[in-house]
Amino acid sequence: MVVLTRFLFGSFFVFFSYAMVVARNRRQVLAVTLAGVLFVALASPPPALAQGSLVAVIQSVLNIINGKIQSALNAINSVRAGVDRYYQEAIWPVSVINQAKALVTQMIGQYRNPMRSIFRVNLNSAILPNPIALENGMRNHQTSDFPELTTSFGKAFGSVPTTTAASPVDRMMVDMDDALAMDTLKTLKESDAADDFTLQAADSIEDQASEAAPGSAPFLTATATAASIESQALTQKMLAAELRQEAARLAHENALRKRGATITGDVSTLILNLLKRR
Amino acid sequence: MKNVVLRGKKTLEWIRRYKVRTAVLLGIFVLAAPKPVKSQFLDPCCAIMGAGLNTIGNALGSVIGGGLNAILSIEQDISKFEQTIVWPQKLINQARALVSDMQGVFTQMEGVMRIPVNSATLPATQQFEQNLLSRDPNQIPQTSTQYVAVYGAIPDAAAASPETRNLVDVTDAAAQAAMKRAIEIDALADLELQAADEINQSIATAAPGSAPIIETQADVWLVRANAYTQSATADLMRVQAVDLANASADVKNGAANTTAIRQQIYNLLKRP
Repeated sequence: MVVLTRFLFGSFFVFFSYAMVVARNRRQVLAVTLAGVLFVALASPPPALAQGSLVAVIQSVLNIINGKIQSALNAINSVRAGVDRYYQEAIWPVSVINQAKALVTQMIGQYRNPMRSIFRVNLNSAILPNPIALENGMRNHQTSDFPELTTSFGKAFGSVPTTTAASPVDRMMVDMDDALAMDTLKTLKESDAADDFTLQAADSIEDQASEAAPGSAPFLTATATAASIESQALTQKMLAAELRQEAARLAHENALRKRGATITGDVSTLILNLLKRR
Repeated sequence: MKNVVLRGKKTLEWIRRYKVRTAVLLGIFVLAAPKPVKSQFLDPCCAIMGAGLNTIGNALGSVIGGGLNAILSIEQDISKFEQTIVWPQKLINQARALVSDMQGVFTQMEGVMRIPVNSATLPATQQFEQNLLSRDPNQIPQTSTQYVAVYGAIPDAAAASPETRNLVDVTDAAAQAAMKRAIEIDALADLELQAADEINQSIATAAPGSAPIIETQADVWLVRANAYTQSATADLMRVQAVDLANASADVKNGAANTTAIRQQIYNLLKRP
């Protein structure tokens, strides 16, 4: 930079001196003088600032730092400290979180085993071999022994009469009644097995809740709700089976009514014919 | 040497002759000559600036640096609290793992409920039972035909009184509607199970912040499922109400028939 400056000044010195020496009249001297003045005016550095102005600028920067910036930082600090305190004392106080976990653990200890024991009390009441087999089949929570259930059902309630022993209409009605009764019993075995899974799911979620954090609890709540939907769907399937069964019972009674109406009509006609003969 | 002396004399002579030009040349050179840079150590302006900058640096260090350090300390405290107490990654992962395990339990439950329960032995009843257990709403239009094949049709006008025919028809209607509703409810329950699976799978990959949204969706489905359960219960109650009404109608018909027979016997006895 210094070299460049010296080179430029040297060049200016040579050209300006040469122009001044070779100028022939006053007009040319005046023109060269003006050119020189113009060069000096353009190339000279701006005047330096006064010392008093610099001190004022530094002082104003210091005032901003010690005033507005310090106040702002203090305010931010105060707000964040408030947020921290609010989190730890009002929203997620550790002691209350621990109390909640302790409650879950205490409830597991207090209720789970007694309820399990109550639910496992043996309800079987039959005393004869065939009813005992059927009752066992109905209540064993198994879904792999449906053929045995059908056999036990046949032994306890009898099978569909043969074609010579009953009319086709009666045979169909008996078969339909038995079929829907057995369908319901099988559905109940399925729902018993599904209940076991539901209780297992509830235990697992409860175990996890006893050591959950506020941030992990929504996962448990959501999966518990999904399990509730599953459970509700199973309840609906049981209700559907009950609806079929109740509807079949109504249909059975109504079929008897239809037959009764026909028989009554026939008997009335017979009696009238007999009386007419007299 | 002679040349140099001669040129010097000529130059002096030129200066004496052109005093104005010489003055202009000197003036311009003085103005245009590069000026020396002021030293940091000798110039009082730089010393003041140095002291000022030093003060500013100290102020930045104590006021801004100190304030930022205090904020950083609180932020670190909040961060630690959130990571260890509120959203600990380990417990979040445990919860996700449980959700995945639950999916296995759900699959087992659904598998159990899909085992066929068909039990009828005769062709017509097998067909009817198949329809009732189909879980397929598209098969509802065939239910009435198959019902009549098993339970018979309404007696014709010559075979039964109008009252009896009405009674039979309304009872058949209630029984058939309940059977059709059972098919519907089975189909709806299947869809609910499917939705529950989908929701549970979403939870397994959710974040703590998105899990409540999925939970809301699950709650909505639970509300919907409750509504369907109520609908099925309503149909069950309708069947039971029609059953009760039938029992009452039987008593009424019995009374009417008794009166009619009494009247007929009386008429017969009055004949000579």
